[in-house]
Amino acid sequence: MREVLEARAVHLHEKAATREEAVARCGEVLVEIGAVAAPYVEAMLERERSISTYVGEGVAIPHGMSKEHVLRDAICVLRFPGGIDWDGEPVTLCIGIAAKGDGHVALLAELAEILLDPDRARTLREAPDVEAVMKELT
Amino acid sequence: MAERTVAVAAQAGLHARPAKLFVQAAMKLGVPVKIRVGSGKEVPANSMLGVLSLGAVQGTEVTLSAADGPDGEAALDALAALLARDLDAADA
Repeated sequence: MREVLEARAVHLHEKAATREEAVARCGEVLVEIGAVAAPYVEAMLERERSISTYVGEGVAIPHGMSKEHVLRDAICVLRFPGGIDWDGEPVTLCIGIAAKGDGHVALLAELAEILLDPDRARTLREAPDVEAVMKELT
Repeated sequence: MAERTVAVAAQAGLHARPAKLFVQAAMKLGVPVKIRVGSGKEVPANSMLGVLSLGAVQGTEVTLSAADGPDGEAALDALAALLARDLDAADA
């Protein structure tokens, strides 16, 4: 995952009142780092409304289905210390994904593998700084 | 142990929406079913993270397993039928 995550895409002190706000924040960060074009944010919101991207362990993985707006494969990691009500599930970590083609399947498999390990999942949720997140994910 | 091997039909592979629909179906069965790719690690079919970790794309052959008996067989038939359908289709 090292080539798709950069330190400036990791934000540990985010705030969002709703799931929609959190997804939009993930989208904004992906736009900021030049990974997607602006319309991708709406595609992410649409995808989230059609089916929740909650995967377990307090983690959601918002992403859009409009590959034409993806400029390059990238992920962003946003932590919401206050937690977000994700359709009844408490979420503290959002991993926003932008991927062309089939790249996201391997990426998701790698992420899932990390989150399946409760210790590594906790490290991610409680990481004290950006370096700790980078170390765990790259 | 009863088993079924089936190729993933969903165009997007077994992730996101197709994975969620599969996991939700597995949860409703009330019979523990496991899923693996080839001779790889088995994961519970009702775990989203487990299913995502398989990295199954369209055409990947996955093997479902459950305890012997009518309940296990019925659960495997239901889940295998689901995987053989294009879960990305709007009516899936």
